[in-house]
Amino acid sequence: MAETARSWAPRSAWAGIAQAGQIGAAGAAGVTATLLDGFGLATLIAAPGGAAALSQTVEARLGIALPTTPKIVPGASHDAIWSGPDQWLLRASTREGSGSLLESLSAQAAVSDQSDARAALRLSGPDVRDVLAKGVMLDLHPAAFAVGDAALTSIAHIGVHLWRLADGPDGSAFEIMVARSMVGSFWSWFAASAAEFGCQISIDRSTGRG
Amino acid sequence: MRITCPHCGARDAQEFSYLGAADLQRPEGMAASEAAMADYVYQRDNPAGVHRELWYHGAGCHAWLVVTRDTRNHAITAVEPAKARKAGAAA
Repeated sequence: MAETARSWAPRSAWAGIAQAGQIGAAGAAGVTATLLDGFGLATLIAAPGGAAALSQTVEARLGIALPTTPKIVPGASHDAIWSGPDQWLLRASTREGSGSLLESLSAQAAVSDQSDARAALRLSGPDVRDVLAKGVMLDLHPAAFAVGDAALTSIAHIGVHLWRLADGPDGSAFEIMVARSMVGSFWSWFAASAAEFGCQISIDRSTGRG
Repeated sequence: MRITCPHCGARDAQEFSYLGAADLQRPEGMAASEAAMADYVYQRDNPAGVHRELWYHGAGCHAWLVVTRDTRNHAITAVEPAKARKAGAAA
């Protein structure tokens, strides 16, 4: 009788939900989705009155200031993403290596590792805004939602955190982060919404950053 | 109706939850009379006009806001973080 292997193993937030390939209409895909895996993520909440000092510390360590409005500030190793008044997400290229940084920041902020708590994907392609318009209540027109803008809102009653990246070869690019436990529901909205345009899906296991 | 969150910008009202009057004052501890507590718990003004009320931006930045709204036409004249009010002198 074979012994059942019992061990802890990381499992992608997308496992069993979505896989690489094309969904919806055949032919040239109107939307490109890259499922992001392997990024490191932590929430920072500044102590009352301590946001400016925290931002200075982060800037000294990472070369990026913490945005005070809904923005993403990309850095060499980490991105800082506004996630509420005096609150941010710090996203790293890799899951490992942020330990000492987060520990030192914990003197000035409530720090909580969320690397396994969110699922993220990057969207681009000529029809990306038409897909997002089916669920996002915000105006994502380039004039209203610029590169680097971020927003907390909801899609199909699911809380999402989204932001616009620098334009890529296929035009505007967005990233969306949802609570891991909601990713199945999110994907059923996304797959249905993107189907008419055709969606090419790939998985980025290397860095998780654009 | 759209509420302009001071943190997130203009958002649809469905992103927010309504709580009620913003300026209730709890009577002082155990010394309060039953009548004063009953007023505090149950009695609410129902103005046809300007009303200061608490809204929670649950689908956005999770901040509590004090919204000044005209109940007759939903015109909103001010939205401020409830936190700012709490930090102020009007305790």
